Amino acid sequence: MNSIRYRLLVWLLMGAALAVAGAAIGTYLRARDEANALFDYQLKQMAASLTDAPFAAVAPGSSALGAADALVVQIWDRNGVQLFMSQPRRVLPQHAQLGFTTVATEHGEWRVFSTLAEDQVVQVAQPMSARRELAASMALRTIVPLLAALPFLALFAWFTIARGLSPLNRVADAVARRSPVALEPLSEAGLPSEVRPLVHALNGLLERLDQALVAQRSFIADAAHELRTPLTAVHLQAQLAERATTDADRSAALTELKGGLERATRLSEQLLALAREEPGVSDRVAVVIDLGTTARTVVADLAPLAAAKGIDLGLNETQGVQIRGDADAIATLVSNLVDNAVRYTPSGGRVDVVVTPKDGAATIEVRDNGPGISLEDRERVFDRFYRGAAAHVPAAAVGSGLGLAIVRRIADRHDATVTLGPGLGDKGLGVTVRFAQPSP
Amino acid sequence: MRILLAEDDPMIGASVRRGLTQDGFTVDWVEDGRAAEAALAEGVHDAVVLDLGLPRKSGLEVLSAMRRRHDARPVLILTARDAVADRVAGLDAGADDYVVKPFDLGELAARLRALLRRGAGRAEPVVTYGNIAFNTATREVRVDGEAVQLSARELALLEAMLARPGAILSRSQLEDKLYGWSDPVESNAVEVHIHALRRKLGADVIRNVRGVGWMLARRDSAAA
Repeated sequence: MNSIRYRLLVWLLMGAALAVAGAAIGTYLRARDEANALFDYQLKQMAASLTDAPFAAVAPGSSALGAADALVVQIWDRNGVQLFMSQPRRVLPQHAQLGFTTVATEHGEWRVFSTLAEDQVVQVAQPMSARRELAASMALRTIVPLLAALPFLALFAWFTIARGLSPLNRVADAVARRSPVALEPLSEAGLPSEVRPLVHALNGLLERLDQALVAQRSFIADAAHELRTPLTAVHLQAQLAERATTDADRSAALTELKGGLERATRLSEQLLALAREEPGVSDRVAVVIDLGTTARTVVADLAPLAAAKGIDLGLNETQGVQIRGDADAIATLVSNLVDNAVRYTPSGGRVDVVVTPKDGAATIEVRDNGPGISLEDRERVFDRFYRGAAAHVPAAAVGSGLGLAIVRRIADRHDATVTLGPGLGDKGLGVTVRFAQPSP
Repeated sequence: MRILLAEDDPMIGASVRRGLTQDGFTVDWVEDGRAAEAALAEGVHDAVVLDLGLPRKSGLEVLSAMRRRHDARPVLILTARDAVADRVAGLDAGADDYVVKPFDLGELAARLRALLRRGAGRAEPVVTYGNIAFNTATREVRVDGEAVQLSARELALLEAMLARPGAILSRSQLEDKLYGWSDPVESNAVEVHIHALRRKLGADVIRNVRGVGWMLARRDSAAA
């Protein structure tokens, strides 16, 4: 289970269990040492008491000794003749080494104390297992309460961890309760230092989301506002078609209606193009694009429109000018520039498209001899929905007001600059797009 | 009636001009605020249809300036449906009425007629002078209750004279009402139309004051 609470609990309990085990081992070792010292002292005392008392007074099988069943006493005289053996069944080695020794026998290890008193050797022995049992029982007595406390510790830890994690839950609740449009930051006050970075990062994301949302909203509001004008025009044109009493009137009205529909359609297409260029929307792969080829395609596409308006549209191309980028977007960029030029240039005018590797940077220029754009309008034409005021354009030429906004958006995405300058022969408009990347 | 239309969108402007012309108005169309001011200065228009979002000088500024000059000609504003604040500002600045885009051409014409009627101090759409009854809404003319067919120009001429009964109108005054800027003015056209009117309404309906102009002469209904 991937839960901080669960994992903490497991680790805590494992730690506690290790601590208990450590305590048990420690207790056992110390208890054994103490038992050794104690029993050794006891053995020594017993040996002393046996040497003090006249040996004859001790009857065989006497149980006057404490823990007699565990103790074995042997007494020899100076000549090695065994005078006394407390438990004949138990066979201990005929030991002559004085002092404490530990002897391995077929009945396990024995602790043996031998002492020389006058002309007798008194040997007192005890099995080591008695000491181990004592130490083990002491260790057990120590850890049993600890083991009993473990479930309570676990329970306590379970609730304490939950309590410690409650700020996280509060943050999660606060986020969950949010409506999709409430993007004000979460409060960072009173949060523990472990949770604050998370909330801080979340607030950063909320802020960026809010900005994106504001931008989207203003775009939609602008778009709705801009769609209203062509739709109003279509509405009026349809009424005129309805009112028409003669065939000539009707066909004229229908022609205008068609123009109005074309304008509305074009605007919606441009809006889509702009929406596609919204930051973060495009993740199309960059490919190598031949600017000349793109320009040739666009010029060929728009040639019929130019011919219908009596505009001399031409391409002047240096071969092999290449950039890296989004092929569709670059085609849209070039198409918007040429379309704008053809649209705003009066009939009989001229539009030149030039593709060059100027100063090592791939460059495309679209120049016309139309009405141009006044200096004060030149920055504003890149704003969405801005149309030049001074230029008087016939109804059929009305643009969406989005063309240059789209051009700039695409150029920005390709690290290209867009500049407006004079067109052909000090007249009209020349738009230059320079791609920063050197042409390969 | 001659209307000044100030609208910057070429398609909307063209359609409104066409529609109002079909409804018997003479329409002059300008596409920005300064051109509207210049046209207003001529003083030949009877009413103004004003879009508030004009370039170079906003419709609101044009309207305010008009009212400051004590120019009381009726003004109808074109606004967006959700632009309540614009509409309120327009009405407060002195607009007489508004229509909301997208609007109906018939409604626009009817509202203009209502404004012009109220401006002339009448409550009903039918203007009567003597035995002549002119319905401004249906553009129907009756003489002694008999319907008379008149051409658009003849109607415009009669309407102009009915607007100021008893006053002598000069040839240029009549021409101003008859022709917009884009209409070619035919020489002697006024005389031709007056002649036609006399033929259809009665010879003594329009009296000529030589060297000055023409006036409508009151001739009471034969039945009365």
